[in-house]
Amino acid sequence: MKNESQCMMWVFACLNFMFLCCMGGLFFFLVHESFPIIKLYGLDFWFGQDWWVGETYGALPMLYGSTLVTALACLLVLPLALAVAIFISEFLTSMNRRFVKAVLELLAGVPGIVYGLLGVTFLSLWIKDIFGLLDGNTLVTAACLLSIMILPTVLTLSEDAMRAVPAEYRENALGLGLSKWQTAITVVLPQALPGIMGAVLLGIGRAMGETIAVMLVVGSLDRIPDPWFNIFSSAQTIPSKLGREAAESIGEGTHWSALMALGLTLFLMVLVISFMGNRFLKRERKL
Amino acid sequence: MVRVLLFILAGMGVAPFSVHADHSSKIEIVGSSTVLPIASRAAEKFKSASSHRMRILVNAGGSGVGIHSVARGRSDIGMTSRKISMSERKRFEGSHLKVHSVGMDAIACVVSSEIYAAGIHDLTRQQIRDIYQGKIKNWKDVGGPDRNIVVVDKERHRGTRHVFMNYIFGNPTPKTFGTLLVTGSNNEEQTKIAQSDSAIGMLSYAWINDEVKAIAIRHEKNIVSPTRETIRKGNYPITRNLSFITAGEPNGEVKAFLEFLKSPEGQQIVEESGYIPFN
Repeated sequence: MKNESQCMMWVFACLNFMFLCCMGGLFFFLVHESFPIIKLYGLDFWFGQDWWVGETYGALPMLYGSTLVTALACLLVLPLALAVAIFISEFLTSMNRRFVKAVLELLAGVPGIVYGLLGVTFLSLWIKDIFGLLDGNTLVTAACLLSIMILPTVLTLSEDAMRAVPAEYRENALGLGLSKWQTAITVVLPQALPGIMGAVLLGIGRAMGETIAVMLVVGSLDRIPDPWFNIFSSAQTIPSKLGREAAESIGEGTHWSALMALGLTLFLMVLVISFMGNRFLKRERKL
Repeated sequence: MVRVLLFILAGMGVAPFSVHADHSSKIEIVGSSTVLPIASRAAEKFKSASSHRMRILVNAGGSGVGIHSVARGRSDIGMTSRKISMSERKRFEGSHLKVHSVGMDAIACVVSSEIYAAGIHDLTRQQIRDIYQGKIKNWKDVGGPDRNIVVVDKERHRGTRHVFMNYIFGNPTPKTFGTLLVTGSNNEEQTKIAQSDSAIGMLSYAWINDEVKAIAIRHEKNIVSPTRETIRKGNYPITRNLSFITAGEPNGEVKAFLEFLKSPEGQQIVEESGYIPFN
């Protein structure tokens, strides 16, 4: 008996080690490939505004685009996700709740390319007509698309966070005379806040890495809009840039190194955000 | 229980070695989205005529990707709709790239159908240059309606862009400051120009349809639009060869496929795809 569990432990330890090696290997690969361009440019790589292949590589427009599109997507998704989460958690019976959640979680499985094609066919035209723009391939379009994509994730985790608030809180509130709605907003929501923050951060992690959907609707123009807060202009994000240029320069050269440095930047950004997201979720569960 | 787990681990270790690529009956073709329709159709005909089972995989990605893939051995054949550039020749000197041209194509400067209907039927090279540089921003400055121009450009490595920009700017990879949108394949460009009502772009002439109209190039008194005759005679200035590229001399199935493309049946496929065969 003891031998068997010892053996199992070693097997699992090996698998764990292999996985850690993969992650570490990925990180070191990115660092190794980015090294030439970082040695050449230093910090100017991240502050440079011009990206002309063969001449100069500046990542600022891509960093700006990624950050803005993700931030905007969060702003758009939060009210809707919270509203639906409150409804599911506080006002639905347990059977209905399971059914509705299952359906919404199915949406999380829709591949990015499907969203991208729907975005190109419908969303960019709607945005063009609604806002009277010259063209509908803008930061706003990408943000809307991303907010729909991260909605299931943010929704489901927020709802779990709200569900996890102990029943006593609700009973005490109802006993004091608060309505169900008032209980939801003033008691449950604040208690579930760490979990909701965690949900949002994990949603951000997904939004930052989305490639094909954003690539098809964001315009792919390597420039910071003029003025910088003009979200109705086309721009570029890091995954979209990689998607458009990686295949022509795989394996060698300054261009490849610059793209790898972009990839490394994105990797670190998502890592930090996911880490923070998980910390928030853990704090909430300890309650 | 332990035995099951060890068996699974062993299986995982052995699996990669049991799957090996059978080079003789699979051909991988990567590259230009302009040449892709020819390759796909030819692949179907070639496979059905072949005596044994074979797979031909055709993928897009662009001329630059096609050249890079075949030079680095990631694909058997690369498709390009432009010449291999000097820097690419230098970079891939060791691969001894060979070019096999199968047909000709023209690149039209295209505008949205609404702009064409409003009267813009031709532009000079200088006007197109100024539009792409951002010096001309409104259609009314070239005789059209009062609408801002949606300048649609392509990814830098695309064959269509190289050839078009070489004619307009004298340089295959210029910096265009008037660009509003960057697209990739011919499909994407066609879609985005069709969706807009004031766009200008560059498209292979076989991809023109009701929503995306070609305009003629005006040079002093001459107005040349891209038609079969003007392209074949050489009057239309923006033309290119559609080619398949191999690393070194082709042999086996790859050679047979390339010969099929150059045969009358293959040239018929080039014509069916909307391009101009070499006869």
